[in-house]
Amino acid sequence: MFPGPTLLAAVGATVEAALNRTLALDPAGRQALMTALTGPVEFRVTAPVAMSWTLIRIGNRVQVHSQPDPGPALVIAGHPMAFVAMATGDPQVIPSGRLRIQGDTALAHRFQQAVEQLNPDWEAALAQHIGDVPAHFIGQRLRGALAWSRQAIAAMNANVEEYIHEESQALPGRRELEATFRQIDDLHLSVERLGARLDQLHNSASHPTTEQP
Amino acid sequence: MSEQHPPVSPGNGQDDVTHFGFRNVPKSQKASQVAQVFHSVAGKYDLMNDLMSMGIHRLWKRFTIELSGVRPGHQVLDIAGGTGDLTMKFSDLVGPAGKVFLADINASMLQVGRGRLTDRGYAGNIEYVQADAEHLPFPDSMFQAVSIAFGLRNVTDKDQALRDMTRVLKPGGKLMVLEFSKPTNPLLNKAYDLYSFNALPLMGQLIAGDSESYKYLAESIRMHPDQDTLKGMMEQAGLVNCTYYNMTGGIVALHVGIKP
Repeated sequence: MFPGPTLLAAVGATVEAALNRTLALDPAGRQALMTALTGPVEFRVTAPVAMSWTLIRIGNRVQVHSQPDPGPALVIAGHPMAFVAMATGDPQVIPSGRLRIQGDTALAHRFQQAVEQLNPDWEAALAQHIGDVPAHFIGQRLRGALAWSRQAIAAMNANVEEYIHEESQALPGRRELEATFRQIDDLHLSVERLGARLDQLHNSASHPTTEQP
Repeated sequence: MSEQHPPVSPGNGQDDVTHFGFRNVPKSQKASQVAQVFHSVAGKYDLMNDLMSMGIHRLWKRFTIELSGVRPGHQVLDIAGGTGDLTMKFSDLVGPAGKVFLADINASMLQVGRGRLTDRGYAGNIEYVQADAEHLPFPDSMFQAVSIAFGLRNVTDKDQALRDMTRVLKPGGKLMVLEFSKPTNPLLNKAYDLYSFNALPLMGQLIAGDSESYKYLAESIRMHPDQDTLKGMMEQAGLVNCTYYNMTGGIVALHVGIKP
């Protein structure tokens, strides 16, 4: 059955090597991750092929196993894109339910924080191969491109939002919407109170208290 | 390609003989003949493993470790541990609170294994034991996991060895047998025959200066029980939940059983 044990072991070995090399580029981040990894963490990928990967701390390195652990401290399950979002530091990936958590939730929070803190020094790694000056030049260009991309995406989102709310007026503005939701909540609360009051009056009418002589 | 003809299995009246490759030899002589093979290849064992399997033996062993479920503090026995590939990984997993026993019947292999592990800084939680898999020098119910990788086919009395491995396991403990097996695809089987009966002895001659030992390797693989037979033998030895995982098309299979 695809993927067989040999292929799974090969993928596990490759991911493990890549992960340990990446962690070596960020000693502080690695230390934070090692401190957070107090037990085996199992990642259950739900699609397109259901499989489990387990992350285990061995000394100052991590091991990646292609088989489920018999007693994981934490299980994180979800779609591969949700795992990518977590790896890239999206803080909303767990609260929004895109990743489901079972087990030690404190470990889950520590693990997510440690992943967010990771900041490998790719430039230093590149400098070992091509020298400091070319690595710094490439690093500067890449950082500039990344910053420009982020700014462009943020500006595009703001422009689209402004067009929809202000120019085409297809959707109400954020504050207007929040005020409406607040009014709906107040109305809901008032109706619930009124219902409870009516129930109380109804109960009093059907069971009148008898006066004691 | 020449067709390989294994001998007829020892039957009635031949109970005191066993296989040594395609030859039948007295049971009392098999251990010494296997020992000669491993004395001869011990120095080049790792290099030959890498060349013959094209490095894939590391993935087979890795999968065995992943399936072992070994945790910090566990006691693990690695039988026929040879140059210590599995022992090294087990040592990492059990940590300082656990212990791994590297057992091998062959002193040369044990010596190479001990040297290699010591050179790599593995010490403190590893014991080296020269032991026969059929008569393990350990008390009952001592280990959470027992492994034997590419060793069972060299054992004279496999049933006795499986019984003794089961004996030293704790209840709930896991026996893992990693061994060459029968490819499931007929085409792969043909290619595998061609490779193992022609290329392996040639490689053995060129690299280790010994073609006979690698001819024995190819023959002993063919004489080893297939997947289902070995699974039945493990059940006979008293293990439950026995299962096997074919790897690389069944060239190698990992059998796993639990002591009830």
